[in-house]
Amino acid sequence: MDYTNQKNPQNYSQMEDLKTLDLEESVSETIMRDLKMIAYKLKYVLIPKEQEDNGKELRNWDLWGPLIFCLALAMTLSFKADSTTNSSKSDVFAIIFVLIWVGAFVVTLNAQLLGGKVSFFQSVCLLGYCVFPINIEAIIIAFIGSYLPFVVKLIPVIICFAWSAYSSVGFMASLVPPHKKKLAVYPVFLFYLFLSWFSLIV
Amino acid sequence: MQNFGSNNDLDEKGNVMTEQPKIKVKFEPKPKQSSCPICTVEYYQQFFDIEQRDVYMRIRCSLLSWKPEFYQCVGKNPDLWGPLWISTTIIFILFAGGNLSRFLLEENKKHFKYEYNYMYVAVFIVYAMAFIIPIILGIIMKYILKSELGVFDIVCMYGYSLSVYMFVLILCIIPYNEAQWFFLMCGLANSTIFLLVNLWDFMKKNKQTALIAIPIISFNVALILSFKFYFFRLIYAVDD
Repeated sequence: MDYTNQKNPQNYSQMEDLKTLDLEESVSETIMRDLKMIAYKLKYVLIPKEQEDNGKELRNWDLWGPLIFCLALAMTLSFKADSTTNSSKSDVFAIIFVLIWVGAFVVTLNAQLLGGKVSFFQSVCLLGYCVFPINIEAIIIAFIGSYLPFVVKLIPVIICFAWSAYSSVGFMASLVPPHKKKLAVYPVFLFYLFLSWFSLIV
Repeated sequence: MQNFGSNNDLDEKGNVMTEQPKIKVKFEPKPKQSSCPICTVEYYQQFFDIEQRDVYMRIRCSLLSWKPEFYQCVGKNPDLWGPLWISTTIIFILFAGGNLSRFLLEENKKHFKYEYNYMYVAVFIVYAMAFIIPIILGIIMKYILKSELGVFDIVCMYGYSLSVYMFVLILCIIPYNEAQWFFLMCGLANSTIFLLVNLWDFMKKNKQTALIAIPIISFNVALILSFKFYFFRLIYAVDD
């Protein structure tokens, strides 16, 4: 085992080697390592230049990243929601949470039914990681949105929506045969549109 | 040297047979006997066996509703992609557009309260109209009225009949009462004519089958009334 790379793993397989050291290290080290893995995957998914191996890194799927981003988005929007709507905070939290997981499930199922040969959780993992730009836009709008006119608020919404959609579309389109690409991609677009709309109106 | 590892036998002349007759074992995985074939994912794959060009043609058939061409478009290949994503798009438009329409009417924009209940009601109404009602009608038509059409043919037809509402409901965001009624009436006419024209062959068989027109028309009317009176209701401030 290569201990010299312990502090700065260069790739995912080296991170995997480190898992055997779990029991011997402190909790904070384990958490930091998991966070680094999530950050690594996030960079991989969202910055297209990193994907030199055509998405093979995604085979090491995990659901921690999607869960963190989903909770962050639901909490941001429910925190802001209380003052502007008839519904309570918990309503908004529940809607966002259910929307993300059920939405990811249905979009993946759609790709599978169209003939896509993909692991179910791999696709849910990707869709979850691509929620991160929506998170950014929700935080921007939640904190400085009330000082901005509507048109200015639209700019980060559109940019982040386009970023999310573009990141996940490449993967989803590669799963299905060529004549069915738009059929697999449209639900992804609708999913992120729903989430972007929520972050805009709250 | 004795070779314990191999199965070399001696033939009649005492020579070692180096080649053994090879027995071919053909491994055939047994087909999974599912107690509920309709519950598996594989069963539904047959309904997603379409291309983007087909979806475009079917939506076009439904928008030009007076031409009974839907069965030429569909053939033996009803799909569920269209009904599912058309109805989900309509839910989004109802949720976003309904609130946007109220927002445009609101005089004091800062006091606008977003109505999240629109989401739950939209999901219930649209998925009931797109799936539950055609499944019930399809079962009645196939098993009681002896139609050649399958249940999924009816679901496919209902799903595509809703496609006109994707455009109509966007136009309904305009917060004028008369405009909204006009667009909804156009949508109702288009959708109902589409369903009746394509079921005409079935309906003209006898009096019983003709009665199927009544639930079709009434559910469509109920749908646009719910659109108008729940999602796009215009609340005028009352001057005391």
